[in-house]
Amino acid sequence: MAVSEAAQQQRIALQRFGLGPKPGAPARIAGNGRAMVLAEIGRMPVALIRPGTLPSLATACAVGEGPSFEAAEDICEAEMRARFTKAMQPEIGFTERLVHFWSNHFSMSVNKAMIVRSTYGQLEREVIRPRVYGRFADMLKGVLSHPAMIAYLDNADSIGPNSEAGSWGGLNENLAREILELHTVGTGGGYTENDVNQFARVITGWSYVRGWESDEGLNGGTPFNRGSFIYRPDWHEPGTLTVMGRAFAPTPGRGQGLAVLDMLAAHPRTAEHIAFKLVRHFITDRPTAFQVASLKKVFLDTRGDLAAVARALVQLPEAWTLPPTKLRTPYEMAIAQFRAMGAPPVPAETKWEFRAPLYSLHNMTWEHGPPDGWDDDTGVWLNPDAARIRLDAAIFYRDVYFRSFTGSVPARAAALFGGWLSDSSRTAVGAGADVRQQLGLLLTLPELQRR
Amino acid sequence: MTHDRDPAVARLEARAAAGCDEARLLLSRRRVLGLSAGLFSWAMMPRRASAASTDPRLLVVILRGGADGLSIVAPYGDPSYASARGSLAMTKSQLVDVDGFFGLHPALTNFGTLLKAGQAAAVHATCTPLRNRSHFDCQDNLEAGLPGIVGSNPTGWINRLLTALPADAPIRTHGALEIGEAPLILRGPAPVLGWSPTWFEPAWDGTVDAAQANYDVVDPVYGGVFAAGIATDRLARQAGGSFDGLGGLRLAFTGAGRLLAATDGPRIAVVTAEGWDTHADEGGPTGYLADALTELDTALGDFKAAAGTAVWGQTVVVIATEFGRTVAVNGTSGSDHGVATVTLLAGGAVAGGKVRANWPGLAPAKLYEDGNLAPTTDLRAVFKGVLQDHLGIARGLLDTTIFPSSAAIAPMTGLIRATTSPAPVAARATPVAAPPRPPSPIGLWRAGLDATGG
Repeated sequence: MAVSEAAQQQRIALQRFGLGPKPGAPARIAGNGRAMVLAEIGRMPVALIRPGTLPSLATACAVGEGPSFEAAEDICEAEMRARFTKAMQPEIGFTERLVHFWSNHFSMSVNKAMIVRSTYGQLEREVIRPRVYGRFADMLKGVLSHPAMIAYLDNADSIGPNSEAGSWGGLNENLAREILELHTVGTGGGYTENDVNQFARVITGWSYVRGWESDEGLNGGTPFNRGSFIYRPDWHEPGTLTVMGRAFAPTPGRGQGLAVLDMLAAHPRTAEHIAFKLVRHFITDRPTAFQVASLKKVFLDTRGDLAAVARALVQLPEAWTLPPTKLRTPYEMAIAQFRAMGAPPVPAETKWEFRAPLYSLHNMTWEHGPPDGWDDDTGVWLNPDAARIRLDAAIFYRDVYFRSFTGSVPARAAALFGGWLSDSSRTAVGAGADVRQQLGLLLTLPELQRR
Repeated sequence: MTHDRDPAVARLEARAAAGCDEARLLLSRRRVLGLSAGLFSWAMMPRRASAASTDPRLLVVILRGGADGLSIVAPYGDPSYASARGSLAMTKSQLVDVDGFFGLHPALTNFGTLLKAGQAAAVHATCTPLRNRSHFDCQDNLEAGLPGIVGSNPTGWINRLLTALPADAPIRTHGALEIGEAPLILRGPAPVLGWSPTWFEPAWDGTVDAAQANYDVVDPVYGGVFAAGIATDRLARQAGGSFDGLGGLRLAFTGAGRLLAATDGPRIAVVTAEGWDTHADEGGPTGYLADALTELDTALGDFKAAAGTAVWGQTVVVIATEFGRTVAVNGTSGSDHGVATVTLLAGGAVAGGKVRANWPGLAPAKLYEDGNLAPTTDLRAVFKGVLQDHLGIARGLLDTTIFPSSAAIAPMTGLIRATTSPAPVAARATPVAAPPRPPSPIGLWRAGLDATGG
């Protein structure tokens, strides 16, 4: 059966750029797939999560340096549930996919430290989301002066060798190295080991207030800034420092470091790196030079306007012609399955059980250990063990929804995939022995897996 | 339908909650270190459950949490042992005597039998080169194989081993196997085969078959990978329902044995076991540690049975942990993070029957920093000895690529039976600069290489 142009656009909109179909999506989208993706860009209410009862930065920070692991875990859980819930709302979900992309660009693990556990959700909600259609430089600076990243990449105790405090500590290069290698210019971006070292000196003193400092009123700690970012001038390496050929004079406070981040954010190699990552995440494992150059040019021309870059991504001709060869990550798959069923199944009492499939598939949100983020290569996710567990995981979620499901499963398949449901998949779902087996098959259809 | 939780996981979570703060982070951290696996290679698919090849096999077992070497292989003959360990000390009659000085924990039934038969050995007072007693740092150190604190984005030493071998070396061709978690030790560009003994209920065969048939029509590439996953799982579990009732660790060891034995299957496997962080109620001949050792020892027996006699004869199992425990009992009838510990070896290729140690002694003046067993053997020396004499890996490769900057650490000799001959092809490998970090996609793209490596 030939797939109509409208159905083809629906599929690309919902799979390549979106979070997967909700029941009735094909009829609501009709022939407007591409237009609806573009219409999401720049609409801030789509990106933002109302804080409601979620903690403020100060509260999250205080818990992160407080005594209770459980309190930090509770915050993490509430933030994750807000993330799940948000993902149920949009018809397409391109903005949400961009939020996930940028969060992963600055990947951290909550298992590094309690302060990361208690503030990661806040960072994503209040630093990433408001800037997802803003300037890249602002997102970069926001993330890198957040206590979560300072803790995650070990900058909190990094001390300039020639600073006032130089004798009682050492330089830690982790954060500077990863900013260069992962967050901005990227490997092959023209920096040297010396640049890493110089940049690490530039950001000495970027730290956060430890619990004991708040308790004892030491080093600027007060009862009110527990866990918050703090700049420690006596830890900062004095003098002019040179990064990638440019000299940065000393300034009061964080100015010197922010100036380096501005330089890096505007660097053509950064533009190229971001362009490459966006094309690879959304469209193809093998970005072409033309695709990367197109987005890179927009990034540079607009001084890192991420709305303009997102628009350029959607407007790449191949975006609407290449077949969906990429595979949803297990997390993306869970979201798509929840949307297909109409709600996120995250009752508090069973939170660990719902995480079990994501743990088994090595894709638990906010728990990627190294800073390089979840891999965007299809081959990493498309492996025999994972393919087998994906089915078991779908069955696991299926059993959650089974009791409350009403109606016919073949009808649900039609309401989800419309004109892009293959004959084989339609037949397979319909041939299931009972509603349970039909639902299991529905939740693992190739139409849902590939994006 | 209800999905009961894996009782082992529930028990571990309870232990973690009662243990040190770091342990709680560690438990969840280790579930998802991140995808270690490079891209899957079809050449690694285990095809039949038979053992035609004589390639050496290696199973690395990592005990997470810092296992108490002084109770696993107790130096009961040390004059200071009883007084230094206090209520954790066991008597000679409670232990399985090895040589009049060391005695095995009584829970090590299978291991003890193997040791008497010359197929198991222990190396005592071993330690990673790191001494800071942090679970995170020391586990990363053990698995990255680096001399000190590990940076934020490392590769694992087994993956570097695979990367450095000639393309026709069987160890490289058949790859390595990760069981369950994706441990750092396997992280890097070389392909890794995974098999995870999940605890949630597998899909019915009818659903599997229906899904397979549809994939084969709509998405044949996915269908092929899915078929391989189902086949691997069935090979690991083998028909007959013998997995029923096995805990997570026994499941993992059984599957590892079957897959290592399979024709064209992997030659190296890694299994990790949580729950060795015995801060409280550690116990003696019975109790928490004894239960954990019983599970490990039973699992080792399962592995031997699953591998079969021929493959067991070609196998070395190395059981290592990130650090030992304090010599003295603590205030909660347990022990705290320490330094040196014991490393266990088992398998038909092991030159066994003994406990090897340059024993530092437990007298107060002999202890290392506030009451710890002093390390006298670098853990890397044990690993290097096994790799050199069992897998035939050349010294230059060991000193640079696999364990960078470790030329001063000589491989421990005499761990492997002289009659087993290592694969000669491995010796051809020339030392290359270790990829200390995984290759980055943008770096490969800029170098004009396909970012997928394909």
